[in-house]
Amino acid sequence: MRKPQSRARAVLAAGAAAAVAFTATACGDSGESTADLTWWHIQNEDPMKTTWAEMADEWAAEADLTVEVEPIANEAFKERLATSAQSGTLPDLYQTWGGGVLAEQVEAGLVRDITDDVDCLDKVNPITLEAYTIDDRLYAVPFDQGVVGFWYNMDLFAEAGIDTPPATWDEFLGAVEQLKAAGITPIALGGADQWPTHYYWTYLVMRTLGLDGLEAAAEAGDFSDPGFTEAGQKLADLAALEPFQEGFESATYDQADGQAALMGEGGAAMELMGQWAPQAQRDNSGTDGPGDALSFFPFPAIEGGAGTTTEFLGGGGGFAAGAESPDEVVDFMCFLLEEDNQAQVVKDGNMSTVAADPAAVVPDMNNEQQLVVDAMATATGTQLYLDQAYPPSIGSTVNEASEGLVLGEISPEDFVAMVNEAWAAEK
Amino acid sequence: MTLKPQQAEPLSRSRPAGRVGDKPRRARTGRRPGPVTLAVFIIPALVLFALFVLVPVGFAGYTSFFRWNGLGGLPNDFIGLDNFRTLLADEVFLGDLGRLALVVGLSIVVQLPLAFGLAMLLHQRFPGRAVFRLLFFVPYVLTEAVTAVLFGLIFSPRRGFADALLASVGVDASIGWLSDRSLVMFVIFGILTWKFFGFHMILYLAARQNIPDELYEAARVDGATGPQLFRHITIPLMGPTVRITVFLSVIGTVQLFDLVFVLTHGGPFHASETLAITMYEEGFGRNQIGYASALSIAMFLISLVFALGYQRLVLKRDLQGALTSTEGSKA
Repeated sequence: MRKPQSRARAVLAAGAAAAVAFTATACGDSGESTADLTWWHIQNEDPMKTTWAEMADEWAAEADLTVEVEPIANEAFKERLATSAQSGTLPDLYQTWGGGVLAEQVEAGLVRDITDDVDCLDKVNPITLEAYTIDDRLYAVPFDQGVVGFWYNMDLFAEAGIDTPPATWDEFLGAVEQLKAAGITPIALGGADQWPTHYYWTYLVMRTLGLDGLEAAAEAGDFSDPGFTEAGQKLADLAALEPFQEGFESATYDQADGQAALMGEGGAAMELMGQWAPQAQRDNSGTDGPGDALSFFPFPAIEGGAGTTTEFLGGGGGFAAGAESPDEVVDFMCFLLEEDNQAQVVKDGNMSTVAADPAAVVPDMNNEQQLVVDAMATATGTQLYLDQAYPPSIGSTVNEASEGLVLGEISPEDFVAMVNEAWAAEK
Repeated sequence: MTLKPQQAEPLSRSRPAGRVGDKPRRARTGRRPGPVTLAVFIIPALVLFALFVLVPVGFAGYTSFFRWNGLGGLPNDFIGLDNFRTLLADEVFLGDLGRLALVVGLSIVVQLPLAFGLAMLLHQRFPGRAVFRLLFFVPYVLTEAVTAVLFGLIFSPRRGFADALLASVGVDASIGWLSDRSLVMFVIFGILTWKFFGFHMILYLAARQNIPDELYEAARVDGATGPQLFRHITIPLMGPTVRITVFLSVIGTVQLFDLVFVLTHGGPFHASETLAITMYEEGFGRNQIGYASALSIAMFLISLVFALGYQRLVLKRDLQGALTSTEGSKA
């Protein structure tokens, strides 16, 4: 039997359910915060997590504002930022690598132009600003900057009878064969991640065409120059020597069986990687890494090529501000660049300083930081990693094609055709 | 999602037909609910369904006609059917379809028969039966991401458990389980089988238990042998369940993402890529939201055409009463 009040109760229950559902919808991740300034960064582990938090507190107290700091893991950060950008706002201050991704955000009107407001860059190495400069306007301040090169294990090189690191591509191929002959895995590579492989192709292009040649081709959106095919062929030749560890095809950069861990354990003689490599070797292998046996040499030159070994592939990290950020955000950016704070970041985060005069800001650098700083001091030009520098569709195509080339799935000509097609679609 | 309600039907249908001596189902008493009550119960669900299913599907359909990177307001670069033309010439997409066919084929030929066989075994009475049923079902309870991490360790190229196991029996070959492009799909299929056979097995077991023993007794009295019992009673009466598991298996394979994404990211060089991974890469890796929408529409159409076609051609027999027709042919 139906009780008299049951219909009323049903209406109430349904109404309540609907109310709950709509409240839940309305309160979805809108990203709104009550703080004056929200800051997303990716140093989500100590000591850097605490270091950033303390700096934020210190500045907030001085400025009499509230700062909400959100440390987010790297990959999760990229996804959250992409979602945030698609919903039309970006955090007041957030991690950026510059280049094509930043350019897309700028084009959508989501980023604050800080060119005329930031007045604390006179002691910053101008190279470090290149990645954040779009059409001569500056959109971020850097906190870390380094270069990509070969990190190598001197003990393993000595074991194979190699006394000096190779300076030319032919010497490099010779070294690979010598290492193989000595039963040593010459190169560690996280093939599944694709981006470690794209360093090889990019450097070979830079050495063949020179930095100017690459920049001109990117400007024109056309990689038809024969130099691109030649560079691709050189990478295919290297892959044909089978220089990588067994199973590199499915290995990643930063997992327990990946590229960094293999280097950390002394299981391979070298890797082509950025300034973070020594730290990653220790973190991922759970060892102390090769220690003093670890050294660095720039990507070798190609005989007859237009590029030189002082042109580096590089990049780092910076902070950009959302278009709707409060004006004070610029003060905070400068606060983070104060020399004490820079020195602290270099020390706690094992990062590479952005100061024009590194020794003045960080007098007590460790060996690996010194190697990066020394390389940067010789730099006559830098190119941001292509998967950051170019729009995402083209950067991803370069990564994908690099993997295909090393696996022998595509030819150097296919590579150029794929990238040109991506450029054409972007225009 | 929208298909869930129909899935349950054939399963439950076999039950009342099979039971002997059940009281006829009691007709529902009481008044039909009035329009106000109906509205109160249906409208909230309808609004949510529209908001979270119909609108997004419609929006994906809309954006699939644009070149759009997802940033800065609504899409405005209308390119008609270009995204779909690109899709049909995209080797990765065509490869995805091939891999889809491979996994579906292997599932029907290997995974489902395996689950069927185990269900028959576990239907027998023997000590520890419940333990085995539980053990075989356990992998299904794990999330796909956890499964992927687990098998990532097992098939790791360096000191992976699989290689170590082979080494312990004297086979010192380092097999590129996940790095060999011609092998990786079969390894993934093996993992999928490990994970999902228990689910299908439980469905088969339930279906088998719903076949009344009286049928077998009667057939035995008539002189039927074991294989005849299996062929003429077990198989026909489990038909509806088998057809439903095939359906679930195909739809699940079309959506395959988590496990493969975590395990291989679709690599090496697309060798294990699925439709959903390609869509994710295009949409979130390359900011080609328009193209990714076109791909998602293609996936939607594949699922829809298959679901409708399958229900029309295959499940229709269940709805019209497969029991009576097979009984007719048996006689």
